[in-house]
Amino acid sequence: MSTESNKRSVVVGIFVLLGVLIFVAGVFVLGGQQKRFTKSIRIMAVFSDVAGLKAGNNVWFSGVKIGTIKRVKFFGTNQVEVDMDIEQSAQSYIRKDAQATISSDGLIGNKIVQIFGGTPKAGPVEENDRLKTQEALSSDKVLETLQENNQNLLRVTNDFKALVGNIRRGKGTVGAVLTDSVVANNFKLAMENLQKASLNTVKVTGSVSAFAAKLNTKGSLANELVTDTTVFRRLSRTASRLENAAGSAEKTVSTLNLTSENVNRASEKLNNTNSPLGVLLTDQETATNLRTTLRNLNKGTELLNEDLKAAQSNFLLRGFFKKKAKEESKRKADSTTVVQPQP
Amino acid sequence: MQSDTTKPADREPDRPVITRRLDRLFLDLADVSSFVGRFFREMFLPPYEFKEIVRQCYEVGYRSLLLISTTGFITGIVFTNQSRPSLTEFGAASWLPSLIAIAIVRALGPLVTALIAAGKVGSSIGAELGSMNVTEQIDAMEVSGTDPFKFLVVSRVIATSFTIPLLTMYTIFVALIGAYINVNQHEQTSFTSYIQEVFGAITYVDIFASLIKSIVFGFTIGIVGCYKGYHSSKGTEGVGKAANSAVVTSMFLVFIEELLSLQIVGAIRGS
Repeated sequence: MSTESNKRSVVVGIFVLLGVLIFVAGVFVLGGQQKRFTKSIRIMAVFSDVAGLKAGNNVWFSGVKIGTIKRVKFFGTNQVEVDMDIEQSAQSYIRKDAQATISSDGLIGNKIVQIFGGTPKAGPVEENDRLKTQEALSSDKVLETLQENNQNLLRVTNDFKALVGNIRRGKGTVGAVLTDSVVANNFKLAMENLQKASLNTVKVTGSVSAFAAKLNTKGSLANELVTDTTVFRRLSRTASRLENAAGSAEKTVSTLNLTSENVNRASEKLNNTNSPLGVLLTDQETATNLRTTLRNLNKGTELLNEDLKAAQSNFLLRGFFKKKAKEESKRKADSTTVVQPQP
Repeated sequence: MQSDTTKPADREPDRPVITRRLDRLFLDLADVSSFVGRFFREMFLPPYEFKEIVRQCYEVGYRSLLLISTTGFITGIVFTNQSRPSLTEFGAASWLPSLIAIAIVRALGPLVTALIAAGKVGSSIGAELGSMNVTEQIDAMEVSGTDPFKFLVVSRVIATSFTIPLLTMYTIFVALIGAYINVNQHEQTSFTSYIQEVFGAITYVDIFASLIKSIVFGFTIGIVGCYKGYHSSKGTEGVGKAANSAVVTSMFLVFIEELLSLQIVGAIRGS
């Protein structure tokens, strides 16, 4: 019986111990979570509206929980003072010129106090310091703005409705464009042309691309033109020479122009029947006379040749001609001897 | 001389003071007050029945541990699973640990423990004392010089008042574990994150309110069970009635106390 009783007592002891341990562990974990056992300093902030902030809500700095709200009380005439316990470890990061605002933990979460800003020039916050505050955007203000937006939207939609009505009735330029079939056909044609143009653009782009590829091909003339500085210099020189040549050509052309003017003038004179050459070139009668004259000259010449032959056979002139023939044959023989090649 | 285990109805006067029914109600109230008063008086007076208290702690606490832990575990899983669709509907499934923590620590843990204990322990105490009353063992104890009230009632009420808070802690712990398993299975939440969420949602007020509430629940279950058993009517029928009445009354009172505690804790939290 005694053993049974002892066993029972031990079991009860273990049962109680475990129960108490669970409780104590819960208390400590909760304390750790709520930073109950960490050293803290108290700072304050005064707001016009705390939007339902309560004692126990969290204080955040740069998105990190650094403390809790200890007390929310009225201040002055219509303001609210919020006392916050901030972890001592976070004290050095919060500057005296930092600001506090009421925010919320998520879209529909608990209210929190968010500390932000602060410059390194201002020292770290100290016990019982009062932070500057920035009034948070309340949901009422958001709704007011939304309401204003709604009204604007309503006006815009009404205007748009009227505009669409006018367009449908064919009023105004856009209405005409949309309702007139001729304009629509023109627009269609314009679109087709645009499409063709875009196709051409595609082709051009392809050509440009191919050209660019050729430009990038090493060893090709185009590539050398673009990349080789020696070729470029040569080209530059050639261009300057071409420029000079063009200058010279220009002068030549101007000279040629003058010449052609002279030729023109000369041809004008040739065409003129008052001038001797003009008469020769253009007058039919003169031409006929000239032809007759030439025929007569030919006949005259033939007759003269016969007379000359007859004269050569004459005893008075025969010696002269024989002497002349001998001199001629001698000159020919001399020239043959000089021309012979050396062995 | 009448025995102190006699039912108030048995001591009704022949002529009613107000009406028979109202007279009975007030007599019951007076008897309960006297019973509770006697408990507090006897509790602080020697001799102290430590062994009996330990035995009752064993019976009430340890013997109920498995049942209550299982119930708590299932409660955690079921509650989590049933709460998920509502939260998922507006994309707040990540709030599940917070919701579960608040529900289990503030209400479900103490309430489930108290209801299970009322069913198991309350009925057991009512039936045990009722049967002792029927078999006149209580009278015999009195005759033998042992204070039956101190030995039977004080030890049991202390045991329930002491062990039910402990059982509540177990229930909360096991229910949170069950909830974690479910949350981890569906949302792949890590244990650290889960614990952070759970303890981020509850406060010291919640924990101490639960503790005090479960002490009150334990006291209620113990005192109702003892009262019903101690004042059971003679006969075997009386034992059954005492057990049944102990369960029904203690459960009803637990709910009333839960409602009251809600108001009190709400007032404390609001201040």
